[in-house]
Amino acid sequence: MFLHNLRIAWKSLRRNALLTALIISGIALGIGTSTTFAAVRHAFARHPIPEKSDVLHYVRLDSWDPLKPYPGDDPTRPPTQLTYRDAVGVMQSRIPARQSAMFKTNQYVYPDPKVGRPFRETIRMCFADFFPMFDIPFRYGSGWDRKADLGPEPVVVLSTTMNDKLFGGVNSVGKTVRIAGRDFRVVGVLADWNPNVKFYDLTQNAIGTPEEIFLPFHFVQPMQLRTAGNSDGWGTSGGLSGFEGLLQSETCWIQMWVELPNRPAVDQYRDFLAAYVLDQKKHGRFPRPLNNRLSTVKEWMDDQNVVPKQANTMLIVSLLFLAVCAVNLVGLLLGKFLARAPEISVRRALGASRADIFLQHIVECEVIGVIGGVLGLLLSLAGLAGLNAWLKATATRSDFFQLDGPMVLLAVGLSLAAGLAAGLYPAWRTCRIAPAIHLKVQ
Amino acid sequence: MLSMRNIQKVYRTDLIETHALHDFSIDVKTGEFVAIMGRSGSGKTTFLNVAGLLDTFDSGTYHLDGEDVSRLSDAQMSRIRNRKIGFVFQSFNLIPDLDVFDNIDVPLRYRRLPAKERKERVEQAAGTVGLSARLHHLPSQLSGGQQQRVAVARVLAGDPRLILADEPTGNLDTMMSREVMDLLERINGGGTTIVMVTHAPECAARASRRIHLLDGGLVDLDAPAPGRLPERDVAALSATLA
Repeated sequence: MFLHNLRIAWKSLRRNALLTALIISGIALGIGTSTTFAAVRHAFARHPIPEKSDVLHYVRLDSWDPLKPYPGDDPTRPPTQLTYRDAVGVMQSRIPARQSAMFKTNQYVYPDPKVGRPFRETIRMCFADFFPMFDIPFRYGSGWDRKADLGPEPVVVLSTTMNDKLFGGVNSVGKTVRIAGRDFRVVGVLADWNPNVKFYDLTQNAIGTPEEIFLPFHFVQPMQLRTAGNSDGWGTSGGLSGFEGLLQSETCWIQMWVELPNRPAVDQYRDFLAAYVLDQKKHGRFPRPLNNRLSTVKEWMDDQNVVPKQANTMLIVSLLFLAVCAVNLVGLLLGKFLARAPEISVRRALGASRADIFLQHIVECEVIGVIGGVLGLLLSLAGLAGLNAWLKATATRSDFFQLDGPMVLLAVGLSLAAGLAAGLYPAWRTCRIAPAIHLKVQ
Repeated sequence: MLSMRNIQKVYRTDLIETHALHDFSIDVKTGEFVAIMGRSGSGKTTFLNVAGLLDTFDSGTYHLDGEDVSRLSDAQMSRIRNRKIGFVFQSFNLIPDLDVFDNIDVPLRYRRLPAKERKERVEQAAGTVGLSARLHHLPSQLSGGQQQRVAVARVLAGDPRLILADEPTGNLDTMMSREVMDLLERINGGGTTIVMVTHAPECAARASRRIHLLDGGLVDLDAPAPGRLPERDVAALSATLA
């Protein structure tokens, strides 16, 4: 019967092509708009590393000024980053399965003169655990080992793009890259890795692309590296000036991630952080009340408002627009269905129950919904392509907005819901047609 | 087969009440071929609609094939219409988008019969009315007589106990009318009860019993005829109804 109803629906849609096109266009416009904005929101809100949702934690300690809270709309919030001293301090813990303090810096890279001229590049300084902790895939070689962190050993990991740029894409493991006047040995080249949100450093441009070069964190001192990201500070640096003063100051500029495999490890690490801060208090630091935070990736994204308020607003507006489209179609469908009263009456006379007639028309509405949904998806693809083109110019990436599986499923669901919403009342009215009136006059 | 007792059917508007059927009672036996006659507005079609469970009535009782059908749900009435009643309409009432096969198939689909059985029934019914070669024609490609034969085939495929025909020859010329009446007579000969509303005395003459309706009541009831009305009486009947 379902296939029969599909056939009837198809014939009905072909009967009045113009009206059908109008109805389907209405649905398509609504689906296209709502799916586009749902995909926009989804691009920001999608979990960038769901397989480690519960084990990765971002670390914050409240080392801020006792006289005024850390800037922001929530006075109870601790600074978003750690001081250098604290980053090095908490890295001493043996509780996390993996951990890495990190920051980004801008340095000159000196390629082979035959390849190109020196250029300035953003480099991420991190620990060996950075790569396995975030499940970063490698094309050639691997990350460095923990021993290289301590030296630090002059090793470097390149992105695929940087490897293409410096070495023409060949396996460069073992080759040398000169950065800021020092030679670094390539130990690994990343495979394509471009999480939708740069979750490991949300302090600037959350949708930026990952860095192209990764160096051991501890080169910060010998190379006197400063952050290319945000830094917030207060107070003095204990009489020290220059780079040493920065390292000893209360300036917060280091991000800190830990991998805690289970609940006991989380509790244990919380205790460790509390003990660390209480110990620092004895040395006159951490004047504010104990306020350490361990946030999962999702919590950290929420805290940093990765999903723009406008994305939420536009999604709501677009869903309302879809609802308006569906409501407008109620009238068109009602007219279309009631014009078919004689045929409905014949079907009723031949044994169709009200339920049969209702179902027949709901199937027709859903066919309209699905066709409208497919066209809406195409509209949405075009819209997202436009947004990606705009984003490429502003954020140097062109793959941020995508129609992935969940978004396609959402579009299908919205299409079916819109078809149902638009068709429910007309189908109900149609199945209530009194057959006797129309049989004589057909 | 069909037994109505004291049926009242009133159409109401804000200003006026119209008694379409007034204290209406009738019995039709299984296998009868009854012609219902009367002027326009006499209640013929209302009777047919009530008899076919297409319309409700205000009071009275109605038994169809031994079953009290006075107060049934929509689904129950639909089921009875589908299984026990076949309709033949003046304007054929074929579904224009469907070809002959699919039109005949419509009631069988609502009966949820398997595809193979439906196909057999459709082909057999189309064969009976002589339209086997036109199964895939649309109604618009058929003459009026052929369309009415499709409507009869649609009834035949459903194998109903009762056929309700509402002026089945009203839109047909004399020759086509005769063909359709021949068909109905053959079906009746097979034991199917037929109740036919008609204005045409020559059609009424082929029924085994004629009933005359006037203003929603039964005013003239022939005694069950042992045979058909003699040809010479057709003219006299026409004069009476004119």
